[in-house]
Amino acid sequence: MSSTATPTSTSTPSQRPAQRRRRSRAKAGGGASYDSRVKVFNAICFGVLIIFALLWLVPLAWAIDTSLKPNAETTKVPVTWWIENPTLDSFKTVLQQGDMPKWLASSLITSTAIALGTVITASMAAFALSRMQFRGRTFVFIFVLAGIMIPGQVLIVPQFREFDALHLLNTYWAVILPQIPAAIAVFIFKQFFDGLPRDLEEAARVDGASPGRIYWSVMLPLSRPVISAVSIFTFVWSWNNLLWPLLVLTNPNLMTIPVGLATVQGSYGIRYADVMASAILGGIPLIAVFLLFQRSIVEGIAGTGLKG
Amino acid sequence: MSLSRRRFLQGSLIAAGAGGLSACSSIGAGVTGGSLPADTVNYWNLFGGGDGVRMQEMQKGFEKANPSLGLQAVTLTWGNPYYTKLSLATIGDKPPDVAVSHLSRVPTLVSAGLLQPLSPDDLSRHGMSEDKFSPGPWKQSQFNGQTYAIPLDTHPIVLFYNTKLCKKAGLLDGNGNLKSMEGESAFVDALEKVKKAGAQWGGVCSVNADTATNWRFFQSLYSQLGGEVLSDDGKKVVLDDAKATKVLNFLKHLSVDSKLMPSGVDYGGAVAMFASGQAGFYLEGEWEISTFQTAKMPFSMTLFPNVYGGSNYKVQGDSHTLIVPAVSGADQKRTDRALAFVRSMLDQSLTWAQGGHVPAWLPVKDSAEYKKLKPQSNYAAAGDAAVYDPPAWYSGSGSNFENVTGSAIATVRAGQADPKSAVAAMRRGLQTYAETPAPA
Amino acid sequence: MTTTTRTASGSTVRRAAKPASGRASGDNRAALLFLAPFLILYILFVIGPGLYAVVLSFTNASLVRSGLGSFAGFGNYAEALGGHDFWNTLWHTLLFTILTTPPLVILAFLLALLVDRVGRGRWFFRFAFFAPYVLASAVMALIWIWIYTPAIGLANDWLGRIGITAPNFLGDPKWAMASVAFATVWWTLGFNFVLYLAGLQDIPRDLYEAASLDGTGPVKQIRHITIPMLGRTTTLVAVLQVIASLKIFDQIYIMTQGGPNFSTRVSLEYIYDVSFTDMRIGYGSAVSVLLFIVILVVSFIWLGIVQRQEKGV
Repeated sequence: MSSTATPTSTSTPSQRPAQRRRRSRAKAGGGASYDSRVKVFNAICFGVLIIFALLWLVPLAWAIDTSLKPNAETTKVPVTWWIENPTLDSFKTVLQQGDMPKWLASSLITSTAIALGTVITASMAAFALSRMQFRGRTFVFIFVLAGIMIPGQVLIVPQFREFDALHLLNTYWAVILPQIPAAIAVFIFKQFFDGLPRDLEEAARVDGASPGRIYWSVMLPLSRPVISAVSIFTFVWSWNNLLWPLLVLTNPNLMTIPVGLATVQGSYGIRYADVMASAILGGIPLIAVFLLFQRSIVEGIAGTGLKG
Repeated sequence: MSLSRRRFLQGSLIAAGAGGLSACSSIGAGVTGGSLPADTVNYWNLFGGGDGVRMQEMQKGFEKANPSLGLQAVTLTWGNPYYTKLSLATIGDKPPDVAVSHLSRVPTLVSAGLLQPLSPDDLSRHGMSEDKFSPGPWKQSQFNGQTYAIPLDTHPIVLFYNTKLCKKAGLLDGNGNLKSMEGESAFVDALEKVKKAGAQWGGVCSVNADTATNWRFFQSLYSQLGGEVLSDDGKKVVLDDAKATKVLNFLKHLSVDSKLMPSGVDYGGAVAMFASGQAGFYLEGEWEISTFQTAKMPFSMTLFPNVYGGSNYKVQGDSHTLIVPAVSGADQKRTDRALAFVRSMLDQSLTWAQGGHVPAWLPVKDSAEYKKLKPQSNYAAAGDAAVYDPPAWYSGSGSNFENVTGSAIATVRAGQADPKSAVAAMRRGLQTYAETPAPA
Repeated sequence: MTTTTRTASGSTVRRAAKPASGRASGDNRAALLFLAPFLILYILFVIGPGLYAVVLSFTNASLVRSGLGSFAGFGNYAEALGGHDFWNTLWHTLLFTILTTPPLVILAFLLALLVDRVGRGRWFFRFAFFAPYVLASAVMALIWIWIYTPAIGLANDWLGRIGITAPNFLGDPKWAMASVAFATVWWTLGFNFVLYLAGLQDIPRDLYEAASLDGTGPVKQIRHITIPMLGRTTTLVAVLQVIASLKIFDQIYIMTQGGPNFSTRVSLEYIYDVSFTDMRIGYGSAVSVLLFIVILVVSFIWLGIVQRQEKGV
């Protein structure tokens, strides 16, 4: 009997082979009835899961289905998934309107700049807070911590006034600058830095390395997972941000994808296929990002989430 | 994830990025806040649906007639979002060169200092002067003796009718036109007859998520009774409870009690219902004419029924105007660009009228071609009988005023509230705004 | 500032440690340099505006006029707290929170549990549940507006097939909020799902082993092992959810614009309407400050719960 045998590692993410479990259970005398109970339960679980997963995919699938129909077909009753005359016309119409590429450019530029800016400023600040001794360190830390409590949404009014006064409305700066200082990113980086072993750094310090050098050559290389998580998250979050860019980007040439989709009607009238085509084109970039960086995103959520 | 899949995705992402970066000039604009090529007219409008189609046609007409000028036209969501965007853009000093505005919204824009006045010299250089416009809308475009908007049209709410069903119901006269209906019972009678002739509904008028239409339906009847809603630039609510309740009772009867009209249909649904012949009558702005012409269904249009008006016919309406938003460092070139565009729109008023509107540009309105235009010229009289929304900082097409009133009216038509409480809700909502000092 | 010296042979020479005071002042300057980029942006674009919002809240400032306008004292706060709109919109925000948080916590947990149990096909399930999360709110809103469209929408069709007359999802004041909430659950469940999945994987397998050996059924195992061990994750998920719900704006703006009949107007939508459509930024700032206080209170309650949990553990 292996009832007292415990695995040495307690946090293995992989599952134990099913056979070993069954064998030990059989040995314990649980026997076939327990086994079949578990098997039935598992089968039910799988069934329920498949149903939910399929249901979850329906809205996206329906959007794609609609976008491949000619506009006239979308208003037919009864509603059907069957496409009589499949066509890519809706996508052509949307792309010909000319706005989508511009919106894509805006989103790419602003989100990339924000992700870069956030990672750089936050990691530098976190490095100072974590690894450097200086006067007022605790005060600065609390000062930054307070920022986590302030949601950006309640600042839209004064921030609008501010950028108006700076004559920066309708520029990328208006979108990028307020989104870079992220207190939560500083916090995440600091947590991570705090958890790093100090010996490499101590050695470098004793050698007389400057803080800049330590930051660049010691801390950053060790911080790859956090950097990747924060940058991807900031990228995705800023890409999908609607409220603030909605206020400051009224020039349709500069709008980011969410703002463009929410604002410009393009004389569609009741052309549902066109609307779905624009939604899909708008959603593709980040789906692609997700597919590319799936593991990092998921690990990022898990890592930072559990730490919080 | 296999290497090849990763590489493919990366490749397509780069390709998409490269495609996106081809819009280089706008990126430059994004960084420096600079504007686009100097000879492009930057134009905003809020025309979707049938109107949108017409406007695109006219835009092409402008481009053909003005090869030296480029045009960048943007359509934004109708209602508050449009005016909010316009205001924000003007405040941010990056407004369009020329934009559409409802006449009912112009007073607010003027008092907020967001519009550029148009001097008589500038106007006459492009062939525009007071005598060339319908007096009603023109007068409303003047503030402190200066012109702030160029009226394009007047657009009242009208009555669409299915000619096939109405003929079957015996409602047409010898010329195939709808016999005139006066009084509540005449209207109800017509709806019943049409229903018996094979329609699922006597008539339809949008109820859900469409405060503007509800307001228009109500206001036409209410002003026929002589009722007013606001006075003193919106600082006082003068809603007449008795008249308002009478109108709401009638509306309730139509949809909830007699089920002659659906009590739960939105804008798109109402259009679809009339187009497919499920409803014999349709009440909405005249702009939907294009939709039904495209659908090739048997229909015609006439004035909104004179239910209570008698000899004092009234109907709710508004006008579309073209305005030039104020910008710092305004130069003559921009004004001329904008006015060239305006003139081109006015010249194409017949096209615009084909979209259902009553032109404000007299050279077209008084022309033979317009008079021959049927069924549009059937309701030309509404151009003078139109009642605009009462002036207030919170009023105008698609404004909070219409939201408050339209919401209350919709609840009655949907059977969710009784007329008395709806009137109280209207009064309460409007009172809050009346007491709030104007921000501009 | 300092350099490492290398001897001719290439090995580094260890310098004696610098005197403490020297290091401290050197660090002060360096620390400032490191903090500066963040702090400058932070003060300019977070703290500064925050303080400015408080100032504005005591004025009748207008969006279209420069300066602070006339002094309002506590007038804006009185109007907000004494009037209907602030409380109605706050209630709508809370309603949204109540409608979305339980499904987003419980359903995410159940689905993560199932995926964890089933083991295979993880890639597929993760995609199915998480893909919606990366869509922009505008994309999600357009898709659901289409699904909810009367007569020709998919929701209308599906309900009709099982004999239910579909309500007008976005046009009926009684249903609009629930409809937006339902769409939101579809959209954001993936995030909590992933959090739970990670938490589940951290539970040591031998706990289950031992229970199985005792003949404990799967359901009992879930009740006595899984759920308690996920206590911290659940708290995290729930609180993140509540705080995020208080800041809701996007879907409401696109799908209903606060209607029909203002029935879905939430606090942030109200701030937007009042500040940028009505142009009353003094009043809008006051409402912003009040909303901030609400969020702050909720966050502190969270801190309290977490502290107590930590102590309990």
